[in-house]
Amino acid sequence: MRRAAVLAVLAGCSADVDPDWQLSHDRVIAVRAAPPRLASGEVAAIDALLGHQGQPPDGVDPDTAEVVSPASLAGALGRQAAHWTVTAPGGDQLAAARSELGLDAGAPVPLRLRVGFTRLGQTALKVVWLGQHTDNPVVDPVTIGGMDGLAQVQLTVPAGVDVPLAVNFDATYNINWLTSCGTMHDFDLATAHLRVEPEDPHAGTLAIVVRDTLGGVAWHLWPITAQ
Amino acid sequence: MIRGGVAVAQPAPPPATPAPAEAPTPAPAEAPTPAPPAATPAAPITVTGRVVDAVRRPIRGATVRREDGAGEVVTDAEGRFSIEAPVGTTLVITSDRHGVALAGVTGPVLDDIVQLPELTGEQIEVTGEAPTPAAGAAELDRQDIQRLPGTGGDVVRALSAMPGVVNQQIPLGYSGVVIRGSSPQDSKVLIDDFEVPILFHPLGIRAVVPAESIDTLTFIPGGFDVAFGRSSSGIVQLTTRPGSEARSTQAEVSLIDGGLISQGPLGEHTRYMLALRRSVIDFVLPLVIPSSVDLSLTTVPQYWDEQLRIDHELNPRWNLSLSSVGTDDIFELFTTKEDAPSKRFFTRTRFLRLTGAAKYHDGEWQANLALSGMLAEIDAEVGLYQRLDVPTALVTPRAVVTRTMREAIGLRDVVWSSGAEAQIGHSSVDIALPLERREGEPLPPYDPRDTTTHFRGAVWFPDFAAWTSAAATFDPRIRITLGLRADYFGRPRELAVQPRSELQIKLSDTLTSRFSAGMYRRPPEFQTELLDPHVRSERSQQLTTGLEYTPILGVRLQGTMYYTDRTELITHNADGTLNNDGRGTSKGMELLAMVHGGAWFGWLGYSYSNSVRVDAPGGPVRLFDYDQPHNLNVAASWKRGRWQLGGRFTLYSGLPYTPVVGAEFDSDRNLHIPMPGAINSARAPIHHEVDLRVDYAWKWGPAAMVAYLDVQNVYFNRSVVTYFYNYDYSQRSAFESLPFIPSAGLRAVL
Repeated sequence: MRRAAVLAVLAGCSADVDPDWQLSHDRVIAVRAAPPRLASGEVAAIDALLGHQGQPPDGVDPDTAEVVSPASLAGALGRQAAHWTVTAPGGDQLAAARSELGLDAGAPVPLRLRVGFTRLGQTALKVVWLGQHTDNPVVDPVTIGGMDGLAQVQLTVPAGVDVPLAVNFDATYNINWLTSCGTMHDFDLATAHLRVEPEDPHAGTLAIVVRDTLGGVAWHLWPITAQ
Repeated sequence: MIRGGVAVAQPAPPPATPAPAEAPTPAPAEAPTPAPPAATPAAPITVTGRVVDAVRRPIRGATVRREDGAGEVVTDAEGRFSIEAPVGTTLVITSDRHGVALAGVTGPVLDDIVQLPELTGEQIEVTGEAPTPAAGAAELDRQDIQRLPGTGGDVVRALSAMPGVVNQQIPLGYSGVVIRGSSPQDSKVLIDDFEVPILFHPLGIRAVVPAESIDTLTFIPGGFDVAFGRSSSGIVQLTTRPGSEARSTQAEVSLIDGGLISQGPLGEHTRYMLALRRSVIDFVLPLVIPSSVDLSLTTVPQYWDEQLRIDHELNPRWNLSLSSVGTDDIFELFTTKEDAPSKRFFTRTRFLRLTGAAKYHDGEWQANLALSGMLAEIDAEVGLYQRLDVPTALVTPRAVVTRTMREAIGLRDVVWSSGAEAQIGHSSVDIALPLERREGEPLPPYDPRDTTTHFRGAVWFPDFAAWTSAAATFDPRIRITLGLRADYFGRPRELAVQPRSELQIKLSDTLTSRFSAGMYRRPPEFQTELLDPHVRSERSQQLTTGLEYTPILGVRLQGTMYYTDRTELITHNADGTLNNDGRGTSKGMELLAMVHGGAWFGWLGYSYSNSVRVDAPGGPVRLFDYDQPHNLNVAASWKRGRWQLGGRFTLYSGLPYTPVVGAEFDSDRNLHIPMPGAINSARAPIHHEVDLRVDYAWKWGPAAMVAYLDVQNVYFNRSVVTYFYNYDYSQRSAFESLPFIPSAGLRAVL
C-alpha cells in the first residue's frame, strides 16, 4: 500500500480525497474503553470520538454494541444508564474463555466488540482485554506553537507559518494529529506542524489522538482559529 | 561423409557482381576433399551448409545465390541452407548487415561460411523473416528497439509493443513481463540464456539492460520448446551484444540515466564489450517534486547496471565466451520532511550474474556448455517493524548437444538435441511482513505493525532438468518436432514431466502453418512460496496454432490463436497458508505485421485475450489481475540521411480491479478494513495515445553523434489506470496515465 502511495505521489496522482488528518469528515476516529484492560470484577465504560463533515467532532456513546468473540463472554457486555459497559467476569469464566481461544493460562482474554453509530451509519471494532488491569495513556504534556497546549482552552495560531505541535511519546505509540483548520504535516508523528494557507478554513478543531500497544487510547480537542 | 566447400569472407563488393561463370572459385588448400565422381557441373546436387558470423553465430535471413542466377535460397534460424547446384558452382552469400561471402561447391556438405560484418559496422536491419522459435513469437534487434517511438529506446517499453504482452504505463507492483493475461511470475526473462531476478529498475522506467548492450530481443509468448523451462506462460530472451570488430567507445546521457559502452578487439581472436550505466533521475526528481509534498528524497531512485561480454575464438571448432550482467537498485525515501524512522521506505535489489560458456561446432555436431552463477539480494525495510532480507546464491551448469543430419532413418533435415541443467540455490531468509498479496486479492490496509509473515532461516532449492527433442522433415511440406522435458524441483520434491510437440506445414513457399501442444511448469519460487515445501509447481497446458506469411524479404505477417489451461495455481487458504487449488484458462489471438523496406520500418500488433480463473473448487470464476482484452500497437519509422522520424499509436484495455463496497474501522489498529466487492468485477477505461520520436545524426570531429527526442502521449490523454482509496475507503482517487513524457538523449560514438 505504501509503495503504491509513493508511486502515486511520484507519478503525479491527483489526491482529491480527504487526507487522514482531516477532521471534517464523517468517520469514527477512536473507540475508547476506560480502562482498556480489566481485572476480574472491574467495569469499563465504552465511548468514542466521531468526526463530522462540516461540524466539530464530538465524544459520544455508541448506539449499539455486540460481542463478536468469544461468544461465551457475551454476558460481559451490558448497559448502565446511557453507557455501554464491560464487566470482567470471574476467573473460572476467563479460564474457560482462554481454553476456547487457545490462550495460555493467565493470559489476558480479548473481548472483541462491534459498536455502532446510527448517525454515521458506521460500525467499529474494539478489543477490551480481560484478566489484568491497565489504564489509558495520558496526553500530557502537549506543546502547540511553543506553548503548553493543555493550558489552552481556545487556540489561536498565525496563518501562513508553520505551527509546531509536539507530544512526548515514543515511536511505539500510534499518534494522530487531526484538524479541520489548515493543513497538517507529519500528522502521525510525535512532532508535527500545522500550516494554515489562505485557501484553508481558518476556524475549526485541532485534535490529538494517542494509542498505546495495550489497547489504550486518549484524545484531546481544541477549538482553533487562524489569524 | 563427403565434405567440401570453402569458408571465404570478403569485404563487401556489390552483391550483384558474381564471379565469372567460367572461373568458379576454387577450393582452398585446407579443404582439399575431392568432389564425388557423380557430381559434375552438368549434374546439380543438393548442397547444404551454414552461414555464420565471425564468432560462429548463425546468420539467418542471408541470401545464398548461385552465381549463374539459377537458384536462390535464404538461410534459416540456424543459418542453414539447402540449394541445388553443380559442383564447381560459386555461391554468393549476402545479408543486410554483413559483407558478401563466396563459397565454392565441392560436395554436398559445405563447411561453415563465415560472413564478416560490413566495414560500416553498425547497420542493423530486421532478421525476423526467418522462422520464429514458436508460433506467435517475434524478434527485435537493437535498432528496432531504438526506432520504436514511445519506448525511449528501452527494452521494457519495446516489449509492450509485442502482441500478447500486457500494456500498462507504469507497471505497479511487479518487475517482470505479463504475457497472455497470466501473472508476471509465470514468464521468465533470460539474458544470455539464464534467468535474471528483475527485468527493470525501480518504477519500471528502465530495463536492467540498456538497448545499446543487447543484440536481439526474442519474445516467445508460449508454445516454446523443451530447451526452455520453469515457465508456465512465456519467455523473453535477451542476447547481449558481442564486441565489434573495430574498437569504439560511446557515451549516452538522457534525463533518466547515462552510460558508457566500450567495445572492440582484444587480439586476433577476441572481442569485448563493456557497458556501465547510472541513473540520473535521482538528481532530476527532487527538482520536479513540489516542495509541499511530505517527502524526503534520500536516494530516490538510484541504480547502476553493468554488462560485460568477452568472446574468444579458440579454434575453428570452439568458441568461448564470458559474460556478466549486474544491477544495483536503491530506492529510499521518507514520507515526511523529518526523516522519521517510522516513515522510512527502503528497498535495495542487486544481482550479479557471471556466465562462462563454450560452444563447439564441427560438421553435424554442436555443443553448448555453460556454467553460470548468480549472487542476488533483495533487501527492504518499511517503518520500524517490517523488513525483508533475502540474499541468494545460485549456480547453474548446463550442457546441450545438438546433431543436425541431412538424412536419417529415412527422414530429412533431422535435428536432434538433448540437454541437462541444474539450478542449485540457497537463500537466507529474514522476513517480517504482512501477509503477501496474491493474484486477485485486494490490497490490504496499510498497518505498519503488521508482521503476520515472519520467518528467519535458510532454504535450499536444488532443481534439475533434462530434455531431449527431435525435429525432422517428413515431407517437403511437413516438419514435426517432438520433445520431452523433465524437471525435478528439489524443494517440494516434485518430478515434472512435460512433453511438447510442434507441427509445421508449409502451405506454399511463403505461407506456413504451425500447431504446437505442450505441458509447462512453474516451480514454487515466487514471494514466500519457497518457505513451504508442500507447495507444488503450477501447471499449464498450451495449445497454439498460427499462420506465418513472408511474401518478400523484410515483410512478415503472422496470426496466432492460443488456449492455455492452468491448474495447480497457488492460492491462499483462509488462514494465510498456501495451497494449489486454483485453476484457470487463457485464450486469445494475436496478429503481427512487420515491414522493413528501404527507409521504412513498420509494425502492427494486435491481441485479443481473455484470462479467467477460479481460486478454489466451487468458487466463482473471475478475471486474472492482468486480463487485457484488447491491445493495439501501430508504429512506423522513416529514415533518410541524418534524420529518423517515427510515430506510434497505442490503444489498450484498462486492467480489472476490485471495487471496495464498504469498510469497518478497527479502533485499536487505527485502520479501516475494506470489504471488497466481487473480485476484478470492474475495469479501468481504455487508454490510447500517440508517441513521436525524432533522431538526428551528425559527425562532430571524430565522434558520430545522435540526438533524440522521444515523446510519449503527445495529446495528453489522461485516462484512468486504476484507483486508490482514501484511508477509510469512502472516497477514491484516480491514478491517471502520465500526461506527457518527453525523453531526450544524446549519444556519442568514438
